[in-house]
Amino acid sequence: MMILGALVADTFQEARARWLFWGLFALSTLLILIFLFVLQVDLTAGAISFLGIQATARRIYSIQKFVNVSYSWVSIALYVWGTFLAVFASSGLIPSVLEAGRISLLLSKPLSRTTLLMGRYVGNLLVVTLNHVYLVFSVWIILGWKTDIWEPRFLLAIPVSVFLFAVLLAVVVLVGVIWESAALSVMAPVGLALISVLLAQHQFVIRLLSSDWSRQLWMFFYWIFPKVFDLGNAMRQTILFDRSADWSTPIWTSTAFGLVALLSALNIFRKRDF
Amino acid sequence: MVSDFAIETFGLEKIYRSQWSGREIRAVSNLSLRVPAGAKYGLLGPNGAGKTTFVKMLLSAVRATSGSAALFGKDAHHPEARRPVGYLPENHRFPTYLTGYGMLDFYGALSGVEARDRKKRIPEFLNLVGLNKWGDVRIKKYSKGMLQRLGLAQALLHRPKLLILDEPTDGVDPVGRREIRDILNGLTGKGVTIFINSHLLSEVESFCDYVAILRSGQLALEGKISDLLVGRGYRIVAADVPEEALAEIRRLAASAVRTPEGIAVQLATREAANTVIDKIRAAGGAIESVVASTSSLEDLFIAATQPEKAA
Repeated sequence: MMILGALVADTFQEARARWLFWGLFALSTLLILIFLFVLQVDLTAGAISFLGIQATARRIYSIQKFVNVSYSWVSIALYVWGTFLAVFASSGLIPSVLEAGRISLLLSKPLSRTTLLMGRYVGNLLVVTLNHVYLVFSVWIILGWKTDIWEPRFLLAIPVSVFLFAVLLAVVVLVGVIWESAALSVMAPVGLALISVLLAQHQFVIRLLSSDWSRQLWMFFYWIFPKVFDLGNAMRQTILFDRSADWSTPIWTSTAFGLVALLSALNIFRKRDF
Repeated sequence: MVSDFAIETFGLEKIYRSQWSGREIRAVSNLSLRVPAGAKYGLLGPNGAGKTTFVKMLLSAVRATSGSAALFGKDAHHPEARRPVGYLPENHRFPTYLTGYGMLDFYGALSGVEARDRKKRIPEFLNLVGLNKWGDVRIKKYSKGMLQRLGLAQALLHRPKLLILDEPTDGVDPVGRREIRDILNGLTGKGVTIFINSHLLSEVESFCDYVAILRSGQLALEGKISDLLVGRGYRIVAADVPEEALAEIRRLAASAVRTPEGIAVQLATREAANTVIDKIRAAGGAIESVVASTSSLEDLFIAATQPEKAA
């Protein structure tokens, strides 16, 4: 535990020294301030005026619904913003540890290569988790304070964003271990996430595809790739009290993808010469 | 299993294969070496001889293609085998965002030193390497020599039984070299095995008891420096010497190692040289060359690594 703790603490120190830690928090703070500014607008009056909600017996229900819709979209925005920013911030943390002269000293210590890589992974995940908690919780406080509607489901954005980042970080680690390139470590997970959003439109696309094999190929990739879109959609539906939200499929397929990427990275790292 | 040897390798080999062309580079070939516990051992060789690859195989940073390596009798692949090892790599890159204190604290923790002990030992070791006033300064502000001394403190912090130093005085001024040598000399009475990989012959000659010289990934010469530098000695190179004759030749010789030509034998006296020549011929071997050896390690080094020049 002492060794894992040292590796995690070292990742924090490097993130701080490279200004990644502060950069993430500064951008999150900026977003929070923008929220504060936007919400200076009288949301309730604005909503009533914009939607033409009438002063009837159903008035309170309608405002509640409007706020929930707002919550769901804000959570999606934070989910996308937080995840992509975290991937950009994390890209250099794996290749830096593999630099010649640094890795040989680390490997001379009485620790396994698995511990070394997992220490970095966990450290990175914790840095990003802290940022997500700060960002989402702050926005939740602001929204709750402004609307007086404290919807705890909004906080789902924290675990969902962290879960997706954990999956994408496995790709960052895999690419970093193979190519030791920070740029490629960003490109691969971001590209993967964008492709997975496209693949998630299968219900629409499949109707357009003429051949059976192309439909099967689309669905094959859909099932393999992490479910960036589906996870966000399930979160949005849950915040809206929509009981049709499907959590299990995106979670287990994304978990499987992340595990395969992480185990592959560990396997390659164990066999590599430095 | 506790061993009398700090380092033992048997038939260690590393072949790098190009992924695309399939071309092979044999960095280390069939290297068997024994470093007695408590010895001061120098590993010499020209650039590209395989010294660093050998050291990295000992520390499992590079995987051996074949053969085995053990540290104090434990398989070097196992992380626990590296617990009693302190290592200072060549061309190290310590995290520049750390202070000297923070760097020792981090690597000390990875070496298994408890937080309470680290707190006590770090000032002590910073003082030992003359960096007590620099502990709170980020190491990106350190000079090359200071980094080298900090690296040495890092390698010593967990009180290792085996110290592996790759070019330890690289970039250090003469005064700093003397200080490093004094620190290392202070360890020898404590039973610490010191294994130095260096290209500085004078450094190895003045500090080490034992030396091994690598050439093209192979062991060209090995033995006690006091035996090898025997004044006017003799070096015999012979081919086709059967294995059964080698045991007796080794008994008479200061050192006897296999080379691409056959075997190279270092002898202290003319009588011993003649006896060995007789034994080689009697066993059916062929004498390739007999050279009067000289007393400096540099001459031995040239004879071992460039026999055509030595001849």
